[in-house]
Amino acid sequence: MSILLNKDTRVLVQGITGKIGQAQTKWMLEYGTKIVAGVTPGRGGVTVEGVPVFDSVAEAVRETGAEASVFFVPARSVKDTVFETLEAGIRLVVVVTEHVPVHDTMEMRAEARKAGATLLGPTTPGILTVGEAKMGIIPGNLFPKQGGRAGVISRSGTLAYEVGGILAKVGAAPSTVVGMGADPVVLTDLADILRFFAADPGTDFVTIVGEVGGIQEELAAAYIAAEFRKPVIAYIAGRHTPEGKRMGHAGAIVQRGMGSVESKVKALEKAGAHIATTPAEIGEIAKRLNP
Amino acid sequence: MRLHEHEAARLFQQAGVPVPPFAVARTIDEAVAALETVRLPVVIKAQVLVGSRGKHGGIVMADTAEEVRAKTTTLLGSSVRGFRVESVMISKRVSIARELYVGVTVDAVAGAITVILGTAGGIDVETVAKERPEALFRKTVVPPAELRGHEARALAREAGFRGDLMVKIADVLVSLYRAFRKYDALIAEVNPLVVTTEETLCAVDAVLEVDDSALFRHPEMPKDTLARIDHPIERAAKQIGVSYVDLDGDIAIISSGAGLGMATMDVVGQRLKPANFLETGGGITEELMYKTTDLVLQKPGLRGLLINLYGGINPIHEGAKGIVRLLKEKQVTIPVVAKALGNRQEETWATLREAGVIIVTDITTEAAVDALCAALGTPR
Repeated sequence: MSILLNKDTRVLVQGITGKIGQAQTKWMLEYGTKIVAGVTPGRGGVTVEGVPVFDSVAEAVRETGAEASVFFVPARSVKDTVFETLEAGIRLVVVVTEHVPVHDTMEMRAEARKAGATLLGPTTPGILTVGEAKMGIIPGNLFPKQGGRAGVISRSGTLAYEVGGILAKVGAAPSTVVGMGADPVVLTDLADILRFFAADPGTDFVTIVGEVGGIQEELAAAYIAAEFRKPVIAYIAGRHTPEGKRMGHAGAIVQRGMGSVESKVKALEKAGAHIATTPAEIGEIAKRLNP
Repeated sequence: MRLHEHEAARLFQQAGVPVPPFAVARTIDEAVAALETVRLPVVIKAQVLVGSRGKHGGIVMADTAEEVRAKTTTLLGSSVRGFRVESVMISKRVSIARELYVGVTVDAVAGAITVILGTAGGIDVETVAKERPEALFRKTVVPPAELRGHEARALAREAGFRGDLMVKIADVLVSLYRAFRKYDALIAEVNPLVVTTEETLCAVDAVLEVDDSALFRHPEMPKDTLARIDHPIERAAKQIGVSYVDLDGDIAIISSGAGLGMATMDVVGQRLKPANFLETGGGITEELMYKTTDLVLQKPGLRGLLINLYGGINPIHEGAKGIVRLLKEKQVTIPVVAKALGNRQEETWATLREAGVIIVTDITTEAAVDALCAALGTPR
């Protein structure tokens, strides 16, 4: 079982004719993703990896029934493209693009909420439902062929790969791995992604991979304490982060004492989550939860 | 990018925020000449990108031209909290009846914009938030909506202001919000906003930090982004397009992602001392890895290098060629351990092994640190 994405989801790739769009379309197809269309304005009529390309999202949806979209479009066009995609009726969007202006993200977030859509990112590696399909850049070969019952939500990309692999190694393969994005403002909150896992009978427990900066983990802790009934394992990266230093991600900064590992760990521990101090410890805790 | 106070003050002024007359001086002569447009008495402020300048001697008063000359002589070229003073801002001094705080910022909780009005100004707003939360009044605005005049007046009224002063404060809030939106700011702040003895308002400080990701649509912004980075290796990193943060230890780290980089620091930090944080982002090429490896190895006294990469969007097999070229050219002798997994991992391993890099194929970063400890002879 899975959340958000499975082998039957009809996926659209935006920015499909770019170098990264093309390469990633090939990887996604090889993994089994049902990619039905691509969009690059001005390139309608060509095909990429056998996928038909359209000039507009509305056209792609009309011709192919696309229902979810993954973005490989430049940062400066992301906002405009999100508005177009929502207008065309798509309600699941994965924004892989990095360096999207935060003012644009705030506007997209408001629009997504109005539309009742789930938008992941920006700066997300995307979603991968093990053994079925993936939207984004998560490498499929790091995961087992068969999906398991461990949900994974990560703010970081590459760290999600490591954690997914560690879980698989101890026999607790992931169901769906969701990258929520590493910017200070995200399009969908951690707590909202947890809600999907709460409703999925195929997920027994969830691993949260957080990092310094922002307050997504603290907000999620409040939700977990109030109503989330499945076990949670949490690892927060960045114990050695000096205050005021931005650790790569726009959001990964401890400022004026806010967003520290300590505050996140404290909130999640209080909510009943199992805390791992290193990625490998996630595996050990998972072994205990998943005998 | 954080702007200098005088740059922010100019933009706030254009947006309609009342700013007292000021001039910028890079030399003593310019400081004295500034008195032709800025009348005595004045405040002389060091233009350095750091807070609490007042407490650290970066803000001084002058009542005569002689004092302006003497005090500018002392300030220029000196250092305030470790930052060299290249220029000073000379502002007309105002008579203070009361100090307020106004700020506009990105609120990660709401995913929207928060406008803050504080009835206590001049001190750090975080301190006020902790000790006197009742002195801060907030309004959330979801962009693209503007802060409307009546909303700003309601906020000022809620904070206890009435009459003319309420209207004037609301005008400042609307102007500041407009500047915040116009310049893609992360924070726009005036602390303090002074109520003068004549009941007028005056912004006697100006903070504006612009979102680096939005600089492409702001040709009006200063172009010296790089020069504003203090640490030489951090500056060089920005130039080649990777993020580097200098740390105290002696184990250099390269990782292909910020979260992975932080986790690598966590694991290395259990048994060894990380020398740096470095993440490449999603743009790995042979050339980038050549330059990146060169960059992290610049720090003196290193004992080892740990490379932690995932090939998702990144062609790690290309990156490996760059690492190997650098290691051979510079004849690097410290142990180098690499964990590189994902698309085309076998090719990557073969390339790295050829240069004597120790390859770890296990998925955990712990395994890589184990291998490095073994190479260094560090006991478990």
